[in-house]
Amino acid sequence: MSIGDRYLTVLGNWTYTDLLSEMQKLQLTLAIIKPHAIKNPVALSYIRQVIKNKFIVIKTKRTSLDVETAGKFYKEHVGKFFYNRLVTFMASGCIDLHVMGHTNAIELWRGLLGPTSVYKGQFQEPYCLRGMFGISDTRNVAHGSDSLASAEREIKFFFPDFSFYEWHSNDEAFFRKGPIIFNNHIFQHVRRL
Amino acid sequence: MMNVLKKILVHRKYPGLIVRHGYATTKKKIPDGSEENLPIFQYPLSKSSDRRVYVWGFAETGALGIHLPRGKRAKKGYKNNFTLAWHPMRSTFGERFDVTDIACGYGFTVASIKTNEHHKVFGTGINTDSQIGYHAPRIGHPLELLLSPAPMYIPYKSLESKIIGVSAGRAHTAILTDNEGVYTLGNNAYGQCGRKINKNEEYKGSMVTHNISRLGKEVITNVCCGQDHTLFITESGRVYASGWGADGQTGLGNYENQGVPAPVKGDITSEKIVKVASTVDCVLALNDKGELFGWGNSEYGQVPMSVKQQQVNMSYALVNFTKGIGKIKDIAAGGSFCLIVNEQGDVFVWGYGLLGLGPNVQHSTKPKVIPAPLFGRNEFNPESAVEKVACGIGHLAAITNNGDLYMWGRNRYGCLGLGHSKDQYFPLRVSVGALVLKVVCGVDHTIVLSKPYL
Repeated sequence: MSIGDRYLTVLGNWTYTDLLSEMQKLQLTLAIIKPHAIKNPVALSYIRQVIKNKFIVIKTKRTSLDVETAGKFYKEHVGKFFYNRLVTFMASGCIDLHVMGHTNAIELWRGLLGPTSVYKGQFQEPYCLRGMFGISDTRNVAHGSDSLASAEREIKFFFPDFSFYEWHSNDEAFFRKGPIIFNNHIFQHVRRL
Repeated sequence: MMNVLKKILVHRKYPGLIVRHGYATTKKKIPDGSEENLPIFQYPLSKSSDRRVYVWGFAETGALGIHLPRGKRAKKGYKNNFTLAWHPMRSTFGERFDVTDIACGYGFTVASIKTNEHHKVFGTGINTDSQIGYHAPRIGHPLELLLSPAPMYIPYKSLESKIIGVSAGRAHTAILTDNEGVYTLGNNAYGQCGRKINKNEEYKGSMVTHNISRLGKEVITNVCCGQDHTLFITESGRVYASGWGADGQTGLGNYENQGVPAPVKGDITSEKIVKVASTVDCVLALNDKGELFGWGNSEYGQVPMSVKQQQVNMSYALVNFTKGIGKIKDIAAGGSFCLIVNEQGDVFVWGYGLLGLGPNVQHSTKPKVIPAPLFGRNEFNPESAVEKVACGIGHLAAITNNGDLYMWGRNRYGCLGLGHSKDQYFPLRVSVGALVLKVVCGVDHTIVLSKPYL
């Protein structure tokens, strides 16, 4: 009995190819490059190189937040001692938003970033992005969604026009199978003509 | 004519043929009394005012001010394309000008020079927030990165005024003059430049310079920049603060951003403060009696209060905490730790990180002494004592009375200058070829102001 057959028996009405495509489907995550990293051209070019080589970049936007919007975005941290610090920091300058796709996007991006606390993490993982470019526990280079649900909420927060249903049913297969090419000017992957 | 030519050709081919007496013989006698007639070559001795600047660490931002243009056709052109300086490099800028003071920010450096001309301060490195002034080779296209030092335009009122200090934060610079007060430039998103916060201000390519001539009708004598806040000391020893206050680092009793500098509240209000130290979000202050005060971030126990608090928003006396240490001489506050030195030249450290007490990253709630033999005090040098200390975010430095520099801690981009990128667990002497007078630690680079040995 081959592996495929075994799966067929387990899965019932699912076929082996169905399962494979489900496993390899692109997962979306949101990356936010924080203000201090935007202001450092060396750090920014390094981070962008990592992003464009490891992920499929679906959308990119540069924006600046005010304190109210940043507060709404981080509403799960309300009441923690660092809430005010985080919000005022995020509102202090431009931030870059990247919606990124990969079969394992959330975990991969958080792995590349490294531990949240820079002071503690820099000794455990000195060559992660936060260990290399982080200055303090708040000025920690970038934000990454921590779960599927929060990724969806965060992408919806910054890209209200972005429809998850439509993307998964129409565009997902195209970004997965290609042909796509990276456009450096808009910093996104686009259809290769 | 032909003969001469032939001679030259022969000489080129067989140099030994014509020069017959190329070796000493016993017949030749060296005359005794003629030594006085020989010219004695006097090697140049340095003046006492001569200064040398050594730089090391991350070079890609241009903060080292050493730019080696890559030769197009050169065989090993890539050799000039260096990203790091592992060892102290002598800066050519320091040879051309009499450098008086230096400050390191996040990826940029500011240096003041002794001159009567208009350009008294030079800057190099990252300039995305115009922290080192407006530099545009083409009108409307300001530079974001400067690889070699360029003069900063500051509207001084008189050419006679002297620069007595510079300080730099994450994206702002403060320049202290003797009779015109402080000039600030760069990012003001939190009010760290000491002026009103304008939400939609564009900092890239900005030409704004702010002058704070007096604070509370007093002359400003010292200025110190944290990453996103600025602290001013006035003549009578009062401390004023402006900038980011989310960790309480402005010491104003709140957690708000402060535009116009305001006097720090708490235990230091009646003290004469002579020095403040701040690198990131924690602040230490020293009064004229050698007593310690602190405020700001205390997540790692940098400012231990009787009731543990992570953000101390008012100055707090650490006299009980430092009991038994004696009179404190110099202070430095890093990202997650603090470093002080007392009158006997013993170094004490507390907080979290690679503190120099061994190979483990550790947390110390009490000030712990780093053994003096590590700073060169031994049977042959019983007088050796540490005089000055400095901190980066994760690295620490100490200067002894012999002019030796010792560094240890996290070695981000080789900023310890030890020739490798491994973390250093205990103080180790950095091979700087001069008497070190001052060390300034940036986030990923270090600069030393020193005096030649001879």
